[in-house]
This record gives sequence, C-alpha cells and structure tokens, in this order.
Amino acid sequence: MSADTIIKVIDVKKHYMQGEIKALDGVSTEIKKGEVVVVIGPSGGGKSTFLRCLNLLEVPTSGQVLFKGTDITSTDTDINTHRQKMGMVFQHFNLFPHKSVIENLTLAPVQLKKCTQEEANKKALYFLDKVGLADRANEYPQRLSGGQKQRVAIVRALCMDPEVMLFDEPTSALDPEMVGEVLEVMRDLAKEGMTMAVVTHEMNFAKEVGTRVLFLDSGKIEEEGTPEEVFNNPKSARLNEFLSKVL
Amino acid sequence: MQEFISAFGAKFYSAFIDGNRWQLYLGGIWVTIKLTAFAMLIGCVLGVLVASVRATYDLTEQNRRGFLLRLLNGAAKFYITVIRGTPLVVQLLIIYFVIFSNTRNQMAVAVIAFGVNSGAYVAEMVRGGIMSVDKGQMEAGRSLGLSYGTTMRLIIIPQAVKTILPALGNEFIALLKETSIVTVIGLRDLTKAAMLVGAKTYDYFLPYIAIALIYLLMVIILTWLLGKLERRLRSSER
Repeated sequence: MSADTIIKVIDVKKHYMQGEIKALDGVSTEIKKGEVVVVIGPSGGGKSTFLRCLNLLEVPTSGQVLFKGTDITSTDTDINTHRQKMGMVFQHFNLFPHKSVIENLTLAPVQLKKCTQEEANKKALYFLDKVGLADRANEYPQRLSGGQKQRVAIVRALCMDPEVMLFDEPTSALDPEMVGEVLEVMRDLAKEGMTMAVVTHEMNFAKEVGTRVLFLDSGKIEEEGTPEEVFNNPKSARLNEFLSKVL
Repeated sequence: MQEFISAFGAKFYSAFIDGNRWQLYLGGIWVTIKLTAFAMLIGCVLGVLVASVRATYDLTEQNRRGFLLRLLNGAAKFYITVIRGTPLVVQLLIIYFVIFSNTRNQMAVAVIAFGVNSGAYVAEMVRGGIMSVDKGQMEAGRSLGLSYGTTMRLIIIPQAVKTILPALGNEFIALLKETSIVTVIGLRDLTKAAMLVGAKTYDYFLPYIAIALIYLLMVIILTWLLGKLERRLRSSER
C-alpha cells in the first residue's frame, strides 16, 4: 500500500437479513491523499452504505477497511481515535439541537482534549468566518436555514482537523436555492487539498470537482474512472442507463 | 354563629397551637420534603442508569449484544418488573422490616425504598425518551470520535430528558404524595404529624384537612417549578 493512501477498502460486504439483502457485495477501492472521490448511482445501490462503512457507522459483514494502514474493522482497533480523523457530513445535518452553533463546533475537540475551550472557540470562529457564518456563532440550530445548518455541520467536522471528509448526500435535504452555498464550501475544501469522499446526486459537482468517480449499483462498483471517462465514455449498460436518466 | 366561631377557635387552638403542635407539622413538612428530594435524586440517577442499559440493549443489533449487556439488561428488566409489579407499601415494609431489620434509621430506609421505586418508573420514561431521539444524533456524536458513553451523556440524554419532562413531572408529583405512606414504618412525616395530633386531641378534622391543603400547596409549587424548568429548557432552542 502506497504511503499516500488514506483509506483502503478490501472486498467489503454488507448483508442484511442473513444475506437476503446485499447492500454491499464485495467492494474494493482506495482513496488517496488529496483525492475527491465522488460516488454516484441509483438509490438503493449501496452508496450510503459504502460511505458509512468507511468510518464504521455501518459495520461490514465481511471485508476490511484500512485507515492509513490500520484495519479499523478489527475489534482490537479503537475506532473512536480513528473517527476523529474522518469527518462526516450527513444528509440531515444532525446538528445537536440543544447546543448553540459554537457549542456544536467545540464540543468534540474539547471533550476529546484536543485543545482548550479558548483554542476551540478560536478555531471554530475562524472556520465559521470562512463559510460566512461568523455572526451565527451563538445561534441555536433551529434558527438556521438548511444551507446554514449544513455549512455548520461541515465546520463541525473540520474543527477536528480531519484527514478525510465523508459527505453523505450533503445537499439532498436542502431547498434548491441552498444547494449552491453548500457546494461552494465543498468546492473550496477540495481546492485546498482536502481528501474527500462524496455521495451525491449533483452530477455537475461530480464532473467539476471530482478527481475520480465511482458508479455503485447493486452493491458493486460497476464502473470507475475520471469524471471525463465516466460521464463522457460510459462503458457499462447500467451506467449508460443511469446517466441518461439523470443528465 | 358566635358559637361556631368560638368552637372552631378552640379546635384550631388544640390542633395547631396547644403544646406547640404547629412544630409537629413543620417538622413533618421538612421530613416529607427531604424524603421526596432525596428519593427523586436516587430515582433519577438509578432511572438514567437503568434506562441507559435498556436503551443500549434495544439499540444494539441482535448479533452484537455481548454477554455483559444481555446480563445487565436482564437484571434491569427484572428490577423494573418486580418494582412495578408489587405495591409500594409492601416494598417499604419488606425493605424496613426484612432487609434492613437491624437499623432504626427510618429516613435512610425510606429514601432508599422510594428512590428504588421511583427509579423503575423513571427508567422506563427515560428509555422512551432515548429511543425517541433521532438516531442521527448518536451517529453525529460517534462520527466525531466521541465514545458511545460520552455521546449518550452529552447528546442523547439531555434531549431525552427534555422530551420526557412533563411525564417526569407527573412522577415527581406522585412521589411527593406517596411519601405519605411512610407512616407504616413510623417515620414522622407530614401525615404522621396529623395522625399524632388527632390521636392526642381526639379530633381528626382539622389536622387532616390541614395536611391535605399543605400537600396541595407543595404540589402546586412543584408544578410551578417544573413548568419553569421546562420553559427554560425550551427557550434555549429558540
């Protein structure tokens, strides 16, 4: 495994109901430092399951997930220390409603003794400013729009200094006019060299920002390649069919 | 009329003032409040602990439930079944006369009995509250690298408590009133004070009406406090 591989996935399977449902049916891939891997595919194809297996929110039925060389599926591994380095952004934001924005952002870094409350506040405000929400620090999530919530959620993950960011359909729950502001933040992140894995239906984002595209269908990687290859020269029939529906 | 007033005056005098009997009531009120407060405290701590075990069991996939978790869940279920399935008076009698038959510290025994009893009810409420919190909250906490326990403590339980606060309030009000049965082990609470006065003056009318009003007043105050707490918790979200 090369030194710049952040995540390596080896033949990961996720079965439900004693194997009757195969959400993932043998997926192997690598995510290298600085890559923006975009996962596309039909609903129920296993995209979210794949992403959630990367930080073990979903425990694979079999197979391995290596994070910087450590097998995090092993029961001997302390998953919590590895998750600190893998930021995750959810479709439904999942901000903590009983905490203010700044508390949402600093809770984990302070709890995990990564820094003092003052340092955490400083960092949180820096990132908030970057996403244009510095004036919302003391607001509660309920008072924010969907787009603002998702930007806060991204900042919450960034405050842990992650080495990779996982995005699980970050714009799917947003009103159309708010999609842009969130994609903008993600685009900036990618520009700064953040390693990202993004499950999305935003094909334009995949084309522009993605360095590699995975097409997941029926729990398998049907096709993968550069955005150029996947969108302009799709090989498999399934991908052709999918693209004709979404483009 | 004159006659009635002077008769009432005499009764009032013998029920509250003669022999400084008002001090008995005051002492009783203090005992009732102390007992309720400590029992509430034990009930909450026990309830949250037991609920955490039960909810963790419920939230864990079947094939990932370890031996310890199954054991703890079994114990928690047994505790809840026994406590909810037997009368509180009987529990109180057993704890005082059987389990702690060597001690005469009625207060301590009563606090334990009422606390353990309340804990079973609080546990099921808190469990319901925990289950009602969106599972994305746990995932968000865990994805940041927080442990299960820390996420439970800082993210899930505060939200659970907020949703169950009205039900929890009911439980506390019931607890306050039910402490009156502590007379069966002879603790001098508010009810016992009225019984003692009645036995001395051969007149139960005023003492019992008086303590009914005092209980009512205490419940009204408690309700007001709970309402205030609820509003404060809610306002933090706006």
